[in-house]
Parts: sequence; C-alpha cells; structure tokens
Amino acid sequence: MTPIVAFRGVGKTFPGVVALDGVSFDLRPGECHALCGENGAGKSTLMKLLSGVMGDHVGEILVRGEPVRFRGTREAEAAGIAIIHQELNLVEQLSAAANIFLGRERRTAIGLLDDAAMEREAAELLAELECPVDPRTPAGSLRVGDQQLLEIAKAVSLASDVLIMDEPTSALTDAEVARLDRVIARLRGRGVTILYISHKMDEVFRLADRITVLRDGRVVITVDRSTTTPREVTGWMVGRDIAGHEFHGARSPGPKVLEIRGLTLPWPDHPRGYRLNDVSFELRAGEIVGVAGLMGAGRTELLETIFGVTEPIWTGEILLDGHPVRFAHPAEACAAGIAMVTEDRKRLGLFPDLDVAANVSLCSLSEAVRGGLLSRSREEALVAAPLRETGVKTPGPHAAITGLSGGNQQKCIIGRWLLVKPRVLLLDDPTRGIDVGAKAELYALIDRLCREGLAVILTSSELPELLALADRIIVLSEGRLTAEFPRAAATEQKIMEAATGSTNHARS
Amino acid sequence: MTSSGSAGGGWRLPRHELAILAATVAVFVITGWLDPNHTYFANWAESRDIILRNTSLLGIIALGASVVIIAGGIDLSAGSMVAFSATTCALVLTLCAAPDDRRLVTVGPAGIAAAVGAAMLSGLLVGTLHTWLITAIRLPPFVATLATLVGLRSFARAMCLFVTKERWGSESQQINVNTPFFAWLKEHNVWIMTGTFLALAIVTWLILSRTVLGRHLYALGGNEQAARLSGIRTENVKWFAYCYGSLTAALAGIFLMADSSVAQPGNLARGYELNAIAAAVVGGCSLQGGVGTVPGTVLGALFLRLVIDAVSKLIKASADVYEGMIVGIIVALAVTFTQVGRRGQAHRLLFSGARGIAAIPTIAIFAALLATMAAANVPAVQGRIGLFGGVVGGITLIALAVIRLLEARRAS
Repeated sequence: MTPIVAFRGVGKTFPGVVALDGVSFDLRPGECHALCGENGAGKSTLMKLLSGVMGDHVGEILVRGEPVRFRGTREAEAAGIAIIHQELNLVEQLSAAANIFLGRERRTAIGLLDDAAMEREAAELLAELECPVDPRTPAGSLRVGDQQLLEIAKAVSLASDVLIMDEPTSALTDAEVARLDRVIARLRGRGVTILYISHKMDEVFRLADRITVLRDGRVVITVDRSTTTPREVTGWMVGRDIAGHEFHGARSPGPKVLEIRGLTLPWPDHPRGYRLNDVSFELRAGEIVGVAGLMGAGRTELLETIFGVTEPIWTGEILLDGHPVRFAHPAEACAAGIAMVTEDRKRLGLFPDLDVAANVSLCSLSEAVRGGLLSRSREEALVAAPLRETGVKTPGPHAAITGLSGGNQQKCIIGRWLLVKPRVLLLDDPTRGIDVGAKAELYALIDRLCREGLAVILTSSELPELLALADRIIVLSEGRLTAEFPRAAATEQKIMEAATGSTNHARS
Repeated sequence: MTSSGSAGGGWRLPRHELAILAATVAVFVITGWLDPNHTYFANWAESRDIILRNTSLLGIIALGASVVIIAGGIDLSAGSMVAFSATTCALVLTLCAAPDDRRLVTVGPAGIAAAVGAAMLSGLLVGTLHTWLITAIRLPPFVATLATLVGLRSFARAMCLFVTKERWGSESQQINVNTPFFAWLKEHNVWIMTGTFLALAIVTWLILSRTVLGRHLYALGGNEQAARLSGIRTENVKWFAYCYGSLTAALAGIFLMADSSVAQPGNLARGYELNAIAAAVVGGCSLQGGVGTVPGTVLGALFLRLVIDAVSKLIKASADVYEGMIVGIIVALAVTFTQVGRRGQAHRLLFSGARGIAAIPTIAIFAALLATMAAANVPAVQGRIGLFGGVVGGITLIALAVIRLLEARRAS
C-alpha cells in the first residue's frame, strides 16, 4: 500500500541550528500516527513543512507517492493536508461560519456573499462534530475547545484526508478531550489519516496506532503502539548522551534566602483555572534550583510571579529572608535584590536600538550620573566590569547589540542584572537558541556566580542542562509541583515521567 | 540608523542628519538660483526672518512630537493644544484686564505672568490626561490623542464664548490681544522665537542623550515590555513624554497668539500636529519608537519649511495650498530612503501582481495632473499646458511600465 505521506531524508536548518536532519517515516492511509518528542525536538518544524507554513527543506516529502513542495498552506490544503495549530488561526471578530469558509466564501448567483448557505453548511459540519454552537457566533466568543472544532470543521469542509493536530488538548477540559477523542474516531471512520503531535503519554497510547519519536531533529524509532510502553517511549524521547558539563561537588549552600509556600496563581477563563497550583519550595544562597517542565507547565509563570511581572493576584506566600513580599512591579523586586533574565531575549530582554553599553547599564544608570547628567566615561567604566566578567565578545562598548551573537547578547543581559548586585537571580531558559560553545561558557558563568553566593533559580527546556547545573530539581506539570529531586537522585527518565504525568498512566 | 538612534552623547552627526543637512543646503541654493526674483539673495533679511520664524514655530512643536515618538507613542493633538493654550492665555488676560477693556491693553505684569502660567499649566493637564487615557484606560495613543485633537479645539471655543459672555456680556468667537508685552513679543518675534527654539532644542537634546530619563525614553520606545521587565516605571516615563509633547505645543500657542495678536480657537494652528510629526519623521524618528535625535528633528523642521517656502517662490502660488502635498511627498520619500538604507531591500518588487499594475496608471495620472497645474506658471509652455501634462503623464507611464517589465524578468 502506498503511504499517504512519506518523509524521505527531510532536513531543515535555521541559522546556527539544525532543526531537522534526515527524517524519514511514512503515514499509512487511515491510521492515527503519533509524533512524540521533547520541546525543540523538531516536531513543529516538520509539521510546518508538511502543511506549507514553511518551505525550503532538503530531502523529499511524498504525498500519495508524488513528491511535493508546498509554497503555502493553500497548496497543502489543495493536496488534502490540513493542520490544526496549537495557537488557533481564527479571525475572532468573524462568525463561526465565516471562519470556516474564509478565503473560499460561498456566493449567490449575482456574486454577493451567501451567508445563509454558509451558515447552513457550517451548522451541519458543526453538528457532526458534536459542537452545538450557532454558526453566527463570533469565533472570538467561543470556548477554546469549540474554536478548535471550528478549525477541524474547516479541515473537514476542505475534504482533507490528512489532518495534523499539534498538541490539541493543551487547553481543553476533560469533557472536551473526550469529545475530541470521539471526533477523531469518527474522522478515522471516514478514512482520514491523523498525525497527532503530543508529548502526553496517556493520549498517545489511547489514540495512536503507531508512534514516531523525534529527538534533536532525528527520528529515533517508529513503532506499533502495541509493542511498546509509555516508559519506553519517554526513554526514547530523552535518551541522548549528556554533554560533559558537570559541576559536581564543592558547592555549599548557605542560609535560606527565598521560600515559596503554597503559591497558587489563578487563570481566569481557562478550564484548568490556575497557572500554578500549590507550589512550595525553598532556595538557599549559593544554590541553584532547577525547574523542569514541558511547555505550558508554568515555569515562566513561576518566575514572573516571584519577580512581580504579573498583577499580584496570587495566593500563598513568598518569603524573602523570612519576610513576606508581594511585588507589584519588577522595579520593586529589583530594589529587593531579585533579578530576572527573561526567556524570550528578543521580545523581553533586548533593546535593539540601544548600543551594548546602554543595554548593560540600563538598570543601574544612576551610578553613571555626574552632576545630574549621564557621563559617557562613567558609563563605560560601569559596564567594563560586567562585560569582562561575563566574557562578552564585542568590538567595543558602543557597538550595536544586534550585531552580537545570541550568546553574547545573553551575556550582556546577565551583565545588566549583575550590575544591580542581586542576591537572587532568576534565569528563564537562558541558553535557548544559543550555540554549544556559548552554552558551556554560560554554564561556567552561572556556576561561578552561584559559588560567589548568589541564589539561582534556573528553568530550562533541556534536561541535561538542569542535571549539569542544578543542586536540586523541581518538576512542574500543568501548574503543579509533581516531584523534587536532589541532583544525585535525578535522572532524565524520572524527570520526564514526572513532567509528562506518565507515571500515573504507565500501565494504562 | 542604530547609531543615530542610540543615545550615545557627543555632537556626532550621523549619516541621516548629514543627508538632510545636504538636502537643506541644496534646496536653498537651487531655490535662490531658480527663483526669478532671487529673493534669498536680493532680499536676504526678510527671507531669513520668514524662514526662521516658521521653522521655530514648527520646530518647537516637533521637539515635543519627537519625544513622544521616541517613547513609542504618538500625539495627534498638538494643533488643538496650540489653540487651547492660546485661548487659555487670552482668557486669563481677559479676566485680568479691566472689565470693559476688550483690547486687553490694561493687563499688568502679574496678569501676564498668570496668563502665561495658565497656558503652560493647560499643557501639563492635557499631557496628564493623555497619560491616564493611555496607561489606565489602555486606549491606543492614536485614539486617545485623536479624541483630544477633536475635543480640545471645541472645548477652547466653548470656553471662549463662555468667558467673553460672562465678562463682557456678549459672546465672542475670538479675543484680540493688544497687551503691550505681547505686542513687544510680536515685534521681536524672530529672535525671541528662534532663541527659544534653540534653547529648547538644547534642553531636549540634554534630556534625551544625557539623562537617565532620556535613556529610559529610548528604552521604552524600543521595547516596552523589556523596559518594564528591567524595572523601569514605564507609566511615569510616558507621563513625562506626553506632558513634554503638550507643553511644547502650549509654548507654541503663546507665541502664535502674540504673533497674530488674536486668539481664535476655531482656526488657530489647524493641522500643525501633522507637520510636527512629519518634521520628526523626516528628521529620522521612527514611528515604531526608540529611534530619533534632536539634531535630526531640528534639521527636519528646517528642511520641511524651506521646501514649502521654495515651492511657493517657484510656483508663485500661496504656500498653504501646496503645503500638504509637499509634506506628504517628503515624508513618503524620507521614510522610503531610510528604510532602503537600513536594510538593503534591493530585491523587493515595486510593482508585483495586479496591485502593481493598478499602481502604474495611478501614479501616472497624478503626475500628469501635477505637471499640468505646475505648467500654468511656466511661460515657455503657455497655451499648451494640457499637452505638457499629458506628455509628463505618458513618460511616467512608460517609465514605470519598463520598471515593471524589468522586475518581471528578474523575478522569473
């Protein structure tokens, strides 16, 4: 039987990163095929190639035996391939019906929009999907689960025979998940092939016929579900060689600096109801606590809550040196000796129009003031120390920050925060998008700062990084703290099981 | 652009500023030479005064607009703010003058100080209102200042009617200001306004490039979220920016009132906000925020006024008819050039697809109409202006079509 979709040695490179490398596997007509992998394993990139969101790859993608190279989602749709993105693609102001028929609107004989026909068809499609919404409702006012079904209705109306679903349950309630399962079963009954992307083992083992595991842009294995176990699949997802960064021994934590007790951050208008639920842990001077968790587990929210980024609507206690604190603005946290290096460097950290020195001095500018005015020489002297200490390679303090590599930009931002002499440093995935050499330098820097007495909370989407750096590792899963390991007891396998919740479903 | 946007300090004139400076000199020389009366050389003192006065008035408002734009916002209300401030000033003078003095000649020094103070205070109030609308109500700056653009002028007119009725018993749409102090201001307007403009430019430059606040303005405009996450109280920085924008407009309002000896809120300074924004943009401010310099804005204002002046001299039409057209074309060209210079967008197609084909006759029609109107003042083509316009339009059409064909070939 010809595979409906076949990947043959597909590769994709971004500047400095190999996202996919020699990926080959088949989708059989009518099967539900799960694609598993850690954050950054290349799942989304592969799906963007297949659905025409992204082009320009090496290797071949065959659809029904024919090589294809889509230059847009329209072309992919014409070939019968539709994708339901994790972030839904709806025009919120338009009605449900208008969204389903966006770009291929039904018209009346004289060329006007035929709303009645579209609404009738939309109602039929939605009824079939157990989605009892009025097709005239604006898409934006629908619940996330219904919005998703709207996207599926669109795919069905396109007569797609391959449907890609990218982590479809991340925002659904249990009832909606059950409904989605039934919809998937019904679609399969019509012969639709499903490519289901997920790292939740219970779903994968409930729905899939076959499983392909991606790791670091390569296919690890493709297996029948019946011949494997969740534990084995999790092992394939993480089982790589740990790079040789080890900083064991001689770190000796000092007194307790920060203590989090029963931290709960509500999430209004979301079925889960909370971003964080009853999280408790403590942090000592000269210690690194690693926070592990998959995308959406609440890692960033945890750091942002401590740093006062979001409105202080949380409950529980945050104790700094034993005193309860509640920051309403990063400036307050900063004044109390807490610093935070944000996750998305470009969006939340860098000032592309300011030069290197201005980027580094920003939080401690008052030290560069003489007689009420900023002194250029004082500013240069001020930033010299952090630039040296963090090992930034720059042509000079007044070079454009955008000309530096990602690693050097990140060092500048760490340097910015070192200048305010914090006692607690929050690092949110600090090595994302940074090449291997710069990573090693950053690890050494973080280790040294910690040995000098800084208390560090480090989140990372890469487990080896946490295992190499952290003294203790806490694991978040959907907003809850599910495990805490001292480094000696932590393994990638155990962390991954706690993060995916697969310990609960190991024998399902 | 990065280097000109960065608040490095020192009087470096980067590429953009040098380019405007060169363009300004070129426009000056060419106009002086082409102008049949050679006004710039024959009657230098008068030309100089007109240019300095107009540039200073525009420049004062443009400096405030620059600060707002650098901080990542926009202030559309400047023209109405000018009228509001002028009206406030005149009304306080009315109240301080003798009850039956409708020419306001009897106002003493205390009354003048109160009037000027009230006008500046009105700027502070409007700036605070803008900040509140933008940070607390979370209106987009465009909407908040559009509301005050419309609202303030109407408010000023109502205030004018109310106070004149209460004071004099009869409503008046305008207030004549013949107070000796303002008459003196008018007499020496060129040097006082130019001096104020330059002093304000230096103060603004010091704030932007040599103070913590200035650095925070650039940071806020460049990346608001990152600025907040760096512990900058972004709301306070915005407050400063919008107050600075309104205060400069208020200052311009006092000068404009003195200069015209009348406060007439209905028409005073209509459209000034767009010229001020245009001067800032021509001077290198990016409407995305985070980029811009004071020297750039000063030169941008000078360049803009000079071109308007030049066209009125060459076409012999009243400047205000052509003003909008000139400002529009210059802004479009200036931003195009900065973008092209910023990243070599050499391979972006100008006329691709059906839109491109539709754009070609559109541009040609505008060129033909413009050429026809311009030809009416050129003796050489008298009697054949229609033909002249048609030829210009035809040449434009052919030239653009050739570009389109070349692009199509390169793309395939």
